[in-house]
Amino acid sequence: MPSSATQPPAELTIRGDTWDARRASVWLTSVALAHRVPPAQIVRLDHCLDEALANVITHGGPTALTSPVRLQFGVRRSQGTCTAELSVADAGVAFDPSTYPPERTPRPASLAEAKPGGLGLLMIRSFSDDLSYRRSEGRNHLTITVSWTEAA
Amino acid sequence: MAIHYEDVNEDIRRIFLSGRLDTAGSEQIATEFAELAESAKRGVVVDLSDVTFLSSMGIRALIASAKAQQAKGGRMVLQVSGNDVVSRTLEATGIDELIPTFDDEADAERALLD
Repeated sequence: MPSSATQPPAELTIRGDTWDARRASVWLTSVALAHRVPPAQIVRLDHCLDEALANVITHGGPTALTSPVRLQFGVRRSQGTCTAELSVADAGVAFDPSTYPPERTPRPASLAEAKPGGLGLLMIRSFSDDLSYRRSEGRNHLTITVSWTEAA
Repeated sequence: MAIHYEDVNEDIRRIFLSGRLDTAGSEQIATEFAELAESAKRGVVVDLSDVTFLSSMGIRALIASAKAQQAKGGRMVLQVSGNDVVSRTLEATGIDELIPTFDDEADAERALLD
């Protein structure tokens, strides 16, 4: 996890439920502000976090709901380019959203075709600049990256 | 997350949502929202002007109610009043192309009567 020179990565452990997902959002906003992340970028990260946790809670299976979900957040700055990385680690069933075929989460063409669901991955892809995934020691590790430029 | 409604006239109901329509907030209002939309006579304006965050679960509730309205010959539109956070989410998911979306209150109500 990259970090700015002065601040180590922030960490939070939550339960796999929707109310702790809200607690995670409050935490994310707090640590992102402490890392001087602009509000527009915090909104992007917040959307990605909510959708990632919703996926864990909805599709992760029983183990995901009874095991802690670990979050890490850090910011790297280099010559005016800033990169925030948010990692979500859960013990749910293996799932790699970074390589999930985009054609399986299409934008619906009409209201009749629209299904009430399946938009979470579309939103994560829309609001992030990069996604990476690894499976390690029985846990999914999803890293969401959001980048922006900063005036000198 | 808060929800209330106002019947503008015999045909149009406005449902006001405010606050954070994240996964938890969407679960909180889903049943009441569906019931309010379902019991409207002809058309529903869902006012998202004061929504501070819109998740896919919130969009799921909007889609389900818009489809229910359509199935009974009614219509549902959204009003965002320049709310950039909500507009961006609707655009990112393409929902603004499926459910007519307006900034202006009068335009939203007019669309239901066309």
